[in-house]
Amino acid sequence: MITNDATALRITHEVLYEVAKLAFSGELEEKRDELPFKMIPGPKAQFRCCIYKEREVIRQRIRLAEGKTPGNANNKNIVQVISSACEECPIARYVVTDNCQKCMGKACQQSCKFGAITMGRDRAYIDPSKCKECGKCSQACPYNAIADLMRPCKRSCPVDAISMEEETGIVKIDEKKCIQCGACIHSCPFGAIGARSFMVDIINLLRAGKRVVAMLAPATEGQFGPDITMSSWRTALKKLGFEDMVEVGLGGDLTAAAEAEEWAEAYKEGKKMTTSCCPAFVNMIKQHFPQLLENMSTTVSPMCAVSRMLKAKDPEIITVFIGPCIAKKSETLDLNIEGNADYALTFGEIRAMFRAKGVQLLPEPNDTQQASIFGKRFGNGGGVTAAVLECLKESGEDADGIKVMQCDGAAECRKALLLLKAGRLPADFIEGMACVGGCVGGPSRHKKEQEAKKDRDKLIGEADARQVHENLKLNVDLESFSMHRKH
Amino acid sequence: MTVTICIGSSCHLKGSREIIQKLQELVCQNHLEEKVDLNGSFCTGNCVKGVCVTVDGELFSLKPEDTETFFEEKVLGRLG
Repeated sequence: MITNDATALRITHEVLYEVAKLAFSGELEEKRDELPFKMIPGPKAQFRCCIYKEREVIRQRIRLAEGKTPGNANNKNIVQVISSACEECPIARYVVTDNCQKCMGKACQQSCKFGAITMGRDRAYIDPSKCKECGKCSQACPYNAIADLMRPCKRSCPVDAISMEEETGIVKIDEKKCIQCGACIHSCPFGAIGARSFMVDIINLLRAGKRVVAMLAPATEGQFGPDITMSSWRTALKKLGFEDMVEVGLGGDLTAAAEAEEWAEAYKEGKKMTTSCCPAFVNMIKQHFPQLLENMSTTVSPMCAVSRMLKAKDPEIITVFIGPCIAKKSETLDLNIEGNADYALTFGEIRAMFRAKGVQLLPEPNDTQQASIFGKRFGNGGGVTAAVLECLKESGEDADGIKVMQCDGAAECRKALLLLKAGRLPADFIEGMACVGGCVGGPSRHKKEQEAKKDRDKLIGEADARQVHENLKLNVDLESFSMHRKH
Repeated sequence: MTVTICIGSSCHLKGSREIIQKLQELVCQNHLEEKVDLNGSFCTGNCVKGVCVTVDGELFSLKPEDTETFFEEKVLGRLG
């Protein structure tokens, strides 16, 4: 997978692995401070100006791996800036490059309403103190000579939560705006943004002999090759100390069935509604469109549904979600929702745990199917809509006229919510997925959607064609828990 | 009012989940869903004081059996 941050990802993974190893052996307290020296032995720096900076970056990454903030400041955000790793990329957003011909037309100068552009000796010059970053000059230049150097982190943020500290130039995240989608994490070529982790907590609970059940995201199938089945995961997770593993695709079925009932009612009343399964989309509504909360479905997410199902059977169980999602971590911290997953892990974190214990995901034929194909496809863009419409059809409702705006990625979600707020949404429902492609495009995916597609189609193709309601009858006692939450 | 309960492993082993469940029930029984926001937090390093619960930023050290008294004094009491 070609990414912006392959080197940073490798280092992040090494840190997670080393921390997991120490946590499993109970030596984390004792040996934590030695880790930066072990990982950066010196004497020559590899990536940064010196080994001391490299070690400081490692030290901050260790703090993140333990669930702490990288610096001393305390805040509640999942997504955090690793200040020592931030290279303070240039602040001036528009810069004139060598392509400038200092031409006679001077469209750049004419286009600038702020008088920020003058002619230097060889090329045009933009005065950063006057530039308002409107971008008109860049569009006007016939030679494409004016580069837009917006920081990659800032560019990736769908809710404009990222800005720079005036004095230091280091990135800062506005907690009130951040929806924890995690898009910025992998946009930074220096790996200067990361997410706090529950990994050490989960290792401690496993070591304490607690009964922990893993819940595996519907987006998982296909991410680790054509032969890594749900059974492969169950076997590997049991080796790691988990009591069992349940497919969250089953939660997809549960959510779809409950949401179908809500949609049917809302459709009759002419009320527009949004989905509520993507935690970053839910955060977007809560933080940026609070007036639309009453339009949000009250059905709980597939993760919460499976967690409630498990806890209804056995209240002592600790439930842990595993997937490509960062925002799920924020969903587990929202304790207004009862019975939700206790913790959430990313694929990267569980891989580090596997490696630390010498456990591998091995090919194994699948022996149990817990979700319908619709539940399994919940992690694809459009998957929620398909599952809900299927449920309506199964219940004999007329679903033909229903129009759903499927939002692929946070930018589209935002547009749709703006339309809904203005009363101009040209659809009955909004399917909100904050990641492009759906969960399979999540920030902590192992492979890109296209790279995994063939294997995903193969694995899901092996499942039988049972209906959603049929699967629920087989696998769930629907009377034992509620599928709704309070707003 | 924001009530934050630590869900780190140390506090978990001291009963944070029991406290969370009790608080959820109490909030529901008293119909305070609109007024009290229950949040989990990562470990803040105060493990010796666990279970760590904060009310609008002020730290309290709680045992599961003290939850009801805590709720009456620090939550209901403060809400007036």
